[in-house]
Amino acid sequence: MSDTNVKEKVVNAIKAIKNGPRAGRLYMETCAKCGTCASVCPIYHGKSEKRYNPAERTDLIRRIYRKYCTITGRLFGKWAGAEDFNPEDIEEWRSIFYECTGCRRCATYCPFGIDHSVMTRKGRAILDMLGKTPDTMQKVVDISLETGNTDGANDVAFKAAIEFLEEEMEEEHGIPIKIPVDVEGADYFYVPPSGDVLVNPEATMGLAKVFHILGMADKWTMSSKCFDGANYGLFTGNDGDMKKDNELYVQEAKDLKCKTMLMGECGHAYRIMKMMMEKTGWWGELPFKVENCMEWTADRIKEGHFEFDKSKNPQPVTYHDPCNFGRSCGITEDPRVILQAACADFREMYPNRGENWCCGGGGGLSAMDDIIEFRMEVSGVKKLEQVRDTGAKYIATACSNCKRQLTQLMEHHDEEIDVGGVHDMLSRSILINGKAADRKEYV
Amino acid sequence: MESLRFLFGVILPYVAVIVFLLGMIWRFLTWKKLASPPMTLFPASTSGGSPTLNTIKESVFFSSLFKGDRLLWIIAWIFHLVLVLIILGHLRVFTNIDQLLMSLGMSEDAILAMSTGAGGAAGVIILAATVLLLVRRLAIPRVREITGFADYLALLLIGAIIITGNIMRFGPEHFDLVLTREYFADLATFRNFTDIAALQNGTFVLHMSLAFLLIMCMPFSKLLHFGGIFFTHQLIRK
Ligand code: SF4
Ligand code: SF4
Repeated sequence: MSDTNVKEKVVNAIKAIKNGPRAGRLYMETCAKCGTCASVCPIYHGKSEKRYNPAERTDLIRRIYRKYCTITGRLFGKWAGAEDFNPEDIEEWRSIFYECTGCRRCATYCPFGIDHSVMTRKGRAILDMLGKTPDTMQKVVDISLETGNTDGANDVAFKAAIEFLEEEMEEEHGIPIKIPVDVEGADYFYVPPSGDVLVNPEATMGLAKVFHILGMADKWTMSSKCFDGANYGLFTGNDGDMKKDNELYVQEAKDLKCKTMLMGECGHAYRIMKMMMEKTGWWGELPFKVENCMEWTADRIKEGHFEFDKSKNPQPVTYHDPCNFGRSCGITEDPRVILQAACADFREMYPNRGENWCCGGGGGLSAMDDIIEFRMEVSGVKKLEQVRDTGAKYIATACSNCKRQLTQLMEHHDEEIDVGGVHDMLSRSILINGKAADRKEYV
Repeated sequence: MESLRFLFGVILPYVAVIVFLLGMIWRFLTWKKLASPPMTLFPASTSGGSPTLNTIKESVFFSSLFKGDRLLWIIAWIFHLVLVLIILGHLRVFTNIDQLLMSLGMSEDAILAMSTGAGGAAGVIILAATVLLLVRRLAIPRVREITGFADYLALLLIGAIIITGNIMRFGPEHFDLVLTREYFADLATFRNFTDIAALQNGTFVLHMSLAFLLIMCMPFSKLLHFGGIFFTHQLIRK
């Protein structure tokens, strides 16, 4: 692509901000340059450099917007903060727009509620349009669109993994506990992140035990086609990819004739299903509702269906609120209900819930090992401090991306702190026929 | 001289007010008509009417900023609060509201005392707040590095308006209330555009011109945050 061609495309994309959605336009025109966003941003906290300043990142786009779309920018140019786009900057953009985790913490504290993740996603969308999405990210999108999951696993591998989990549970409890697959007409269709089947499978085992105890083992199912809610179109800014990936899952839910799509411990997957797809009606009226498995289990716990042997989880446990669950979906209490029921020593991390600091791997960054230095030494720094302050030996979190980032972070900084899911802890201490699991290490 | 006075004393006020009104209305209408899919940020208001309530809370108390940067909150909140009080105080300059105040039970002395006491204090406080905002902008790297020429200009303009206002209050060349009211009454009723007595006071002309300049810039500068705040918070609390 020639430079003029690139320039025309970028400038047109930025001009289009003028015509909506409303947030983009308002963010171009409303910012007092007060610096509050920088002081609450995990990246800027990790390293206070201009390139990491949220308002500066948004200004990369805003300056060009001013140049082409505002009267003052056209009249006074640089003096009014307007600048033309320089195609040579694109390489720099490829880094900078992937140096924001989209955690939305800035929006919580900005006096105008300006959500820089919106502009970060815009910047990424522009890169994507030019075919300039970082290779590590593009690969995940391609695999996901090709195979239906971000691990590139096929149905045979999936079924083998499920069989393995069933065997493990039988060993743990001495009785068969089912994980139904491809059952048409089951009420609940469970959509985990593929990691919760292939990498840290205890979350899925935990949920299977919940259904088993309730006598509902035949009321739920997984799908051998759709077993990964992860959707990287959210991260690359490509709405087309995001919807294509999503449509597959919605179609499968319809084909399975489920009443509830039960989303797993994956923040962005749930956010897309609940807050975007369902809320704004991407596919019209739905024959099912979207719920999260933590909500579901927490409600059953509150109804008093289960007993736990907390001594199985004696270590201090803390909960890291994934930004997509806490700030973007408002799911903060359910995981705590589960952890408090299942663990002997649950500790809060401060601040928490909607004010929690990002793990440093949000916005898809967790999958990018090419920027691991940045994730360990910049974006994850605040989280490390927070975790250390709790004295916890296990960080529970409900997100595969957070888990990956946190695991690497603890290793990198020589902390002997385990990282895992929420249902994992339930799986280890919930009583079946009066007995908790004889657990092995699953890694 | 006379033509300059006419330019700044008559033309500018009309142009400024028209530009401000049309500019703001145009902003509000364009913002309003753009699609806004929900992008809820939690904790969110759940009941129907409360995103609006939240917006009111944010615009009156700056509650997000209160959590985000306490020091800035103190300076900014005092700055804006005093600004509003000063604008209200100026009503007395534009028109004779003494009658109204007296009917509400204030004595003439009390009105005068309020004007000099509260008005004088407001002038000093807002000057101090403006200086602090400027110092902060220069001193804190995370603020300085995102500050552009226009951001400084806005602060300096506001500073100049405050200083000229304070000169008229505390300086020897005190302005004439009666003449000023006459002048604004004439402007409002489109009468008597020449030989305006109030415009003989140079400080007054400067103060007023800068103020109208500021008003005129409002829809096209960072000062637009005054309008934006009523929209931006709505987006994330639906
Ligand atoms: S906190 Fe909001 S107003 Fe302040 S600089 Fe950041 S985006 Fe701009
Ligand atoms: S979304 Fe998070 S990482 Fe990105 S600018 Fe805002 S606070 Fe920083």
